[in-house]
Amino acid sequence: MPPPGGFEAIKYKRNLPFRGPGGVAILAGVTGICAFGFYRLGQGNLEKRELKREKVWSRLHLVPLLLAEGDRDAYRREHAAVEREREIMKDVKGWEAGKSVYSDSRYRSSNSIVVL
Amino acid sequence: MSLFHDPTAASTPYKDPTPLPDDIPKVNELGATSAPLKSASFFIGAHCKEFNEDFMLCKQESRDPAHCLKEGRRVTRCAADLINKLRENCFKEFEEHWNCLEYNNQEFYPCRKPERALNKCVFEKMGLTKTIPGTPEGKTPVHELTNPVFKRQQK
Repeated sequence: MPPPGGFEAIKYKRNLPFRGPGGVAILAGVTGICAFGFYRLGQGNLEKRELKREKVWSRLHLVPLLLAEGDRDAYRREHAAVEREREIMKDVKGWEAGKSVYSDSRYRSSNSIVVL
Repeated sequence: MSLFHDPTAASTPYKDPTPLPDDIPKVNELGATSAPLKSASFFIGAHCKEFNEDFMLCKQESRDPAHCLKEGRRVTRCAADLINKLRENCFKEFEEHWNCLEYNNQEFYPCRKPERALNKCVFEKMGLTKTIPGTPEGKTPVHELTNPVFKRQQK
């Protein structure tokens, strides 16, 4: 005999709980995130180029200054070396102190270096 | 000729105390370290443009150190003058900016805040602006971007 009030309804409907967004949504999301990332990367590359230009120009502005200081020191050392040579070779007849081994007047920096 | 003197093995350290010959006028060397120079570089470029260009053209004529001593002295005097003016007019801003450079690996981008204060002060008191040559046309120069990609990670 059926229970009073009748049998309960038969559960025949599909019971599939929601398991997150679908494939298309995920694909769209990933594409969107990647697009944003590449956009920022592009922006960053352009900005990096400009930062590099800034750095290079800040150095370029300092080149004359540092070169001038270095030149004064180099001139002082070269001059002192020639004076020393003149003092050492004063007994040798016909010796020209500081004379280049080349016959042209082009400037060449010193061949020997002193690493400090 | 090309003899390498090993300084560690030398009996005396290599020094040449001989001063510059007397016929060369004396000029005080700048003596600033890298961070203040980097901080002031664009202003040196703006303030001393003529002297710098003159010196570089002279160097192009001849690489001989003796050739451009006069122009070199002008360059050094001009830069020293600019640094002194900076310290007179914008001492606090200048000090803050180069200390920031010192603490940030001498990069400009983490130091935009002190840099803007310095640029503003220098423009108001000395009339010099920082311009980066070769910036693409119609674009904001990188030091004036309000929301740059590269900035300090730590707030």
